[in-house]
Amino acid sequence: MANGTDPSTLIEVAGLGKVYRRGSDEVAALRNVHLSVSKGEFLVIVGPSGSGKSSLLHLLGGIDRPSQGSLRVNGVDLVAASQAALTRFRRDNIGFVFQFYNLFPSLNALDNVSLPLLAGGLGWSAARQRGAAMLEQVGLAHRQKHTPAQLSGGEQQRVAIARALVVEPCVILADEPTGDLDSASAEHILALMRDLNQRLALTFIVATHNLVLLKAASRACRLVDGLLSPLSGA
Amino acid sequence: MLALGYFTFRDLLHDRWRSLLTILTLAAVVVGYLLLASLAQAMVSLSKRAPITNNLLIIEADTIDPMDSVVDDAILQTAMEIAPAEIRLAFPIIFRHLTIEGHIMQVRAVALDEMSASQALTLVQGRWPEGPQEVAASEGAAQLGSWKIGSMVNIYGTNFLLTGVVHNEENAFGSLWMTYPEGQRLFGTPHGFQVGYLSLEPSANPASVRAKLLADPRISDHYSVFLEHVYTDSYNQSSSNLVILSGLMLLVSLLAVTFGIYNATSLGLAERSLEIGLLNIIGFPLNKLRIFLCARALVLTLAAYSLGWLISLVFIDHQRLRASVALVFLALRLNLFSSLLGLGLAIIFALLGVLLASSRLAALNPLTGRD
Repeated sequence: MANGTDPSTLIEVAGLGKVYRRGSDEVAALRNVHLSVSKGEFLVIVGPSGSGKSSLLHLLGGIDRPSQGSLRVNGVDLVAASQAALTRFRRDNIGFVFQFYNLFPSLNALDNVSLPLLAGGLGWSAARQRGAAMLEQVGLAHRQKHTPAQLSGGEQQRVAIARALVVEPCVILADEPTGDLDSASAEHILALMRDLNQRLALTFIVATHNLVLLKAASRACRLVDGLLSPLSGA
Repeated sequence: MLALGYFTFRDLLHDRWRSLLTILTLAAVVVGYLLLASLAQAMVSLSKRAPITNNLLIIEADTIDPMDSVVDDAILQTAMEIAPAEIRLAFPIIFRHLTIEGHIMQVRAVALDEMSASQALTLVQGRWPEGPQEVAASEGAAQLGSWKIGSMVNIYGTNFLLTGVVHNEENAFGSLWMTYPEGQRLFGTPHGFQVGYLSLEPSANPASVRAKLLADPRISDHYSVFLEHVYTDSYNQSSSNLVILSGLMLLVSLLAVTFGIYNATSLGLAERSLEIGLLNIIGFPLNKLRIFLCARALVLTLAAYSLGWLISLVFIDHQRLRASVALVFLALRLNLFSSLLGLGLAIIFALLGVLLASSRLAALNPLTGRD
C-alpha cells in the first residue's frame, strides 16, 4: 500500500509492530502493518475491542513508539524522533479526538480549545480569538463559558473536535469518537467530521467498532488481532 | 508559562475541596512538627548542664528531695571551723515545693545579698525583696503565673508583693525567692533549714574542701556535701528521659512532614496522570509540565506550611501555651531554625515527589501509562 514517492501521501507505514510487555508475557498489539494514507482521505479502521486500533492511532500520532517497522507522518520519521521532537510533531501536525472526550474538567470550553495554541506559543488573546472561532465552526459559540460538566456528551465531543482542529493539523486521529454517544449525537458528530473532511480537505483516520461510521469513509480497513487488511466492499 | 500558570490556578480552584483537604492534612502535620520542635528545644535548654561553680551544698544525708532535708543551725559554723581559709560565705536556705495559684513551684528563703554575691542569682527586673511579705520570682515563675512587678502572689495563705524578677542560672524550675527571716516566719521554722550553702574562695579547690568536710564526723555522720553543679545536674536528671523522648518525637514529626509532603505531591501526580498525558499530547513539553507540577506542589506546600506555622504561632505565642512537666517550667517558642529547616525539607521533598514521580513520564504512553 505504501507509496513513498507520491507527494500526496501523508502517512507511510511499513512493517509496523507493537509489543507490550506484562511481566514476562509479551502481547503483540500490532503485527507487520503496512498502510499508506493520502491527504484528504477519510479512512475508517474497524475492528473489535482489543484488536489494536488504539495502539495504531497512538503510533500514528506519535504518542507511543513502535517496537518495529518504519513510520513517517507528514515527512517526519517518528521512529527516529526524540521525545521533544515528538511533542513538537504532535502539537503541529496531529489533532486527537477520543471516545471519552478527554477535556480538562477545570477549564471551560473556550479554555480547552485555546490550550493547544497556547502550548504552541501563541499569545493569550490571539489564542482565545481562534478558539472562539473554532467553537463557532462546530456550532458551540454559545457554550464557550461552560465547563465539560455543563455540556452534553455530544457537545463535549464537538469541543474535543474543535480542540483538535484549532492547530490546523494535517490529520485528525479519532479513537471511537461516537463510542460514548447516543445515536442522534453520533450522527451529528459523524456529519460534522465528514463536513470538515470535505470542506477543508482535512485527513481523518477514525478507529471504531461501529460499522455505521463506514458510510462516511472514503476508504476502510479491518484490524483483527493486530493484523491490518483492506475491508472488502468498502 | 502563562498558560500553565492559568491551568495550575484553575486546576487548584476546580479541585478546591481536595486541595483544601490536602493543605489541612499537611498543615496538621506541620503544626505537630513545630510544636514538638518547640518542646524539644525547651527540653534541650532545660537539660543544659549547670555551670561549674566554686560552691558546696550541705544537705541531710539520704534525702531524695532537698525539701525533706533538715540541717541544724550550727552546721554552717562547724563548716567554717573546718575550712576557715577556703570558705568565703556560708548561709542557710529554706526550701519548699508549694502549689501557688495552681502552679507547683519552689519557694526559697535565703540571704539574698549573699546569694547574689555568690553569682547564682541575678536581678533582671525590679528590686530585691527587703521587707515583710515581699518576694521575687524567677523568670519562668513570673511567666507561668502571669505576674508582673507589683502583682500580689498568695503563698501559704499570705499575700506577697512581687518586687523583682530574678535569673537563676543553676536551675530551670519555677521558683520564688524571699528573705531568710521572711521564710522562717512564713513556714514557722525559727530553727533549722534545708540546705547549707558554702561559697568558697576563688583559690579554693571545691573537691578538696568537700573531702575535708566529709572527713569530720560532725558533718559526715548526718549530712552529705555536694559540689553545687553536680547536685543540680542530678536534680535535673529527671528530665533527661523527656529530652530523649521529645528528640525522638521531633525526628518522627520531621519524617512525617517530609514524607507527608512527598506522598501528597506524588499521589497528586498519579491521580492526574491522564491530564498530564493530555497536556503533553496537545503540545506541552515534559520539562514545562514538570515546572507546572512543581509549581502546583509548591503552592500546596507553601499554603500548608504557612497555615501550620500560623496555627502554631497562635498556639504558642498568642495563647501563651506553656508546658509544665512536674516542677519543670518549659516556655515554648517558635524557633527560627526549626521553622526554616521544616520549610526547607518540605519544599525539597515536595519537589522530589514531583520529580521522581514524573521521571517515568517520558518513557510512558501518556494515555495508557504503559511503556
